[in-house]
Amino acid sequence: MKKVTVFFLVIALCLMMSVGCKKKDDTSSGATNTPIDITHWYWADNPDYSAKMQQIVKDFNENNDQNIKVTAQEYPWDGGGYSETLFTAAMGGGGPDTAAWKLTSTPLFKANNLLANLDGYINDWTDKEDIEENLYNVMRNASGTDNIYVMPWNTQVLYVYYRPSMFKAVNIAVPTTYDEFLEACRKLTRDTDKNGKTDVYGFGMRGAKGGQEPWGSFIYGRGGDFTNFSTPQAIAGMQDFINLYKNGYVPPTAPTDGFNEIIANFKSGKTAMTIHHIGSSSGMVEALGEDVDAFPFPKGTSQWTSMGDTENVIFEACDNKDAAFEWVAYLATGKGQEEWCKTTGNVPVSKRVQAMPEFQNNKFMKVSIQGAPSAGIFPILDTTTEWINTIWPNTTAAALAGQKTAEQAMADLQKGLYGS
Amino acid sequence: MKGRKNSFYRVLNLHIPLIILLIFLLFPFYWTFVTSIKPERELYGSVVTYWPRQTTFKAYKDLFFDYNFLKPMGNSLLVALLTTSLTLSVASLASYSFSRFRFRGRRAFMILFLTNNMFPTVLLLIPLYAIMRNLGILYTPTALVLSYTTFTIPFSVWLLNGYLSDLPLSLEEAAMVDGANRPQAFIRIILPVLIPCLIATGVYIFMTSWNEYTFAVMFTNEESRTIPVALKNLIGQLGVQWDLLTAGGIITIIPVCVMFFFAQRRLVEGLTAGAVKG
Amino acid sequence: MRNKKAGFWPYLLIMPALLVVMAVVFIPALNAVLMSFQSYDLRRPSEIGFIGADNYIKVMRDSLFWSSLWRTLLWVLFGVGFQFVFGFCLALLLNRPFRGRGLARSVSLIPWVTPGVLIGLMWRWIYDGSYGVLNDILLKLNLIDESIPFLARVSTVFPAVVVTIIWQGIPFFALMLLAGLQGVPGELYEAADIDGANVFQKFIQITVPSLQNTIYVTTLLRIIWVANSVDVIFNMTGGGPAYASQTLSVYIFNKANALNLGYSSAMSIILTILLLLVAIPYLKNLFRNQEN
Repeated sequence: MKKVTVFFLVIALCLMMSVGCKKKDDTSSGATNTPIDITHWYWADNPDYSAKMQQIVKDFNENNDQNIKVTAQEYPWDGGGYSETLFTAAMGGGGPDTAAWKLTSTPLFKANNLLANLDGYINDWTDKEDIEENLYNVMRNASGTDNIYVMPWNTQVLYVYYRPSMFKAVNIAVPTTYDEFLEACRKLTRDTDKNGKTDVYGFGMRGAKGGQEPWGSFIYGRGGDFTNFSTPQAIAGMQDFINLYKNGYVPPTAPTDGFNEIIANFKSGKTAMTIHHIGSSSGMVEALGEDVDAFPFPKGTSQWTSMGDTENVIFEACDNKDAAFEWVAYLATGKGQEEWCKTTGNVPVSKRVQAMPEFQNNKFMKVSIQGAPSAGIFPILDTTTEWINTIWPNTTAAALAGQKTAEQAMADLQKGLYGS
Repeated sequence: MKGRKNSFYRVLNLHIPLIILLIFLLFPFYWTFVTSIKPERELYGSVVTYWPRQTTFKAYKDLFFDYNFLKPMGNSLLVALLTTSLTLSVASLASYSFSRFRFRGRRAFMILFLTNNMFPTVLLLIPLYAIMRNLGILYTPTALVLSYTTFTIPFSVWLLNGYLSDLPLSLEEAAMVDGANRPQAFIRIILPVLIPCLIATGVYIFMTSWNEYTFAVMFTNEESRTIPVALKNLIGQLGVQWDLLTAGGIITIIPVCVMFFFAQRRLVEGLTAGAVKG
Repeated sequence: MRNKKAGFWPYLLIMPALLVVMAVVFIPALNAVLMSFQSYDLRRPSEIGFIGADNYIKVMRDSLFWSSLWRTLLWVLFGVGFQFVFGFCLALLLNRPFRGRGLARSVSLIPWVTPGVLIGLMWRWIYDGSYGVLNDILLKLNLIDESIPFLARVSTVFPAVVVTIIWQGIPFFALMLLAGLQGVPGELYEAADIDGANVFQKFIQITVPSLQNTIYVTTLLRIIWVANSVDVIFNMTGGGPAYASQTLSVYIFNKANALNLGYSSAMSIILTILLLLVAIPYLKNLFRNQEN
């Protein structure tokens, strides 16, 4: 008798579950008069940005004339885990209609047909010309096709922050060549209280995840490039990087220093120079006042600096792509672009916004724009994300610790990115 | 004279080791607290200060007023309580069965439960997400409760089974000889004695669901966010919001400790107080 | 009253637990087993297909797998070992009556209550080579004369993360064993007192045997839990620098995040089998104890 009861219980449970499945499908059909809902995912680099994004959404919802209602959901950046969360949701059949984006994720999502092709929308878009053609090309390259799947939003150009007072103390000028830069790292490393221990380091090196960006400038400084890491020039650049650590011109914590550490070290006066973008400038000014300035990473045999990026995408599964495009366009060239770039200090992609006085009169923005011609991105392959997250930091740390020579390390990096 | 010697030994073998252990366990907590009330300038100063020169409770104020931290706390509490009650009820039945009956497939079922806990959850994420979506419970607390129970149940079944097997059988036998049937024996005799163990297991389940991140980030949205996700939102690409993060940590820890302070009163002498003396 | 002829009762009692667990994980777990025999890299979805045991062969040739496995062994051995020893001590101390015991009991749970996100960050902050409090204390005590970047050095990073997991796990053992101690009949100790046994003898002859099953189960579960734990290491070091703190579970996690799910599943299955092998002696003892 009881066995029968159990049997029915199981059946009932299964039925309940299948009813649950059904219910969801029924509710998805929308009436004409109800607002068009767009779900947008984003991450915020600090609580102010989070508040700003919610403000932009509110403005958009109130002012668009097509009754579009965007709901923005914040997800943790989680050291890049954001993209994995987004991917899991999209693969599981859920996920948002639009999302904030990093170019490096493009091949993965594209390969699984998750992204909407934006070519048609962009061609018909009145603001198309407001964004540099070059930027569209970067978006095309990232997908590995001739199509655009990614809508530009902001860029950040990396440059070198320095402390003018420390330059004065050792009596050097702003470096104009790569060799001068290396020389400055040496000279700026000082034992100010004469106790036999270094207390100011010339350069704040980023050895943890994300450190590949400033590192790239060293590779180009010696004439290497990213198409082949095993060239003698690229290896020489890696050797320079290792030497800075071995000679003690960078803090001993460098192999695990991430963003937080390099900025903190710079603000507290532990380092005289470090490489980052304009996003951190307001905090620097707050901490150091006038005693902080910047210059573009100088040219050696050749010159390269990393262009950080954030974009927006529309998912293939989105039911109202027209409305979704309105929203990402608002972020790219509309009021959303202005507001966001003013708060974050990021370089606008809209030429109209770039020309605004707020952006023209900022000394860090000037350096960003100065560095822009030599700014580029890493080769975007399907291996890039893993390469950035684990292969680069661990291989470089091994080289810094002396477990690997520059040549071995570069061979590993080559294999990790290109497979051979 | 003897009394003084005794209390000297007591200090030596109770207070001193206890204090050493507690210092090790609590120092990071103290440090979290100090960090939460230090201004950022002092965090990265050239001297490490063990008590802030300048204290600020701004982070706490911000958390409650600007970030509505009570909401994720409420969500976490709801999920943790539901998971705990669901898990405890089904797990105590199953563990009673495992410890008191010998039946065909018993070992196999036990090993099945154990293996369930050995497999890394990260690989189950995509299919689980699809299942939750198909059930229509995505972004509701139910999704989290359901996914947490899948690993708290096996664990709790095993733990309770361990405790039950350590309890002398004579207890129930005596009761059943006196004419009680099995459910009566379970409720009247076993359950009271098992209370400390249920509390300990309950605390385990509570902690697991309170602190879990991987599932929580997938199965919740702004409405149903739990604490670990809310905390992780404070770490962006532009660094860590130390003050908010540590303050959030402190606010998370204290209510649980208070709850346990009351629960632990039952964590005494279940056996001696209940069955043997009575 | 352990009877063999209980009919459907035992099955009925385990049914709810079994149902909940199986309904949710059965399909995903089966899926993971299947993935381990496929070239299942979501970065290259067009190449997905069965490849037999290729993933397993590749794992066997992967030097990172072996070094991570070795580190997992040390991680479990030292992690669980010290958690158990300190946790048992703490349980015994907290079982004795003294003023403020309730408070001591509840605050000693703190490491366990702390969210994993915060554990990683706080310990990272404590170990920090520039502003870290641990270096400051060691410097003040004159034990070192220069700050040690604990997490940046290949030689110190692993011991550092092990200390963190020990810290985190002590409350688990303390609480579980404390609960078990409540079930030890007091008259056993009274009898031993009459026989003139000392504290140590009582511990070995009464406490440990009475807690035998609890000890087996808690250590076994903890071994499994610690072997699979990712968040402490991931939040502190991500497995680096130079893979020096990468355990197998962190390696699996990293590979899964890189979406090479086939490879990652193969490693998970190997880890599961190894854990089962570790569990066998435990299970034998347990089943023997229980079925006697």
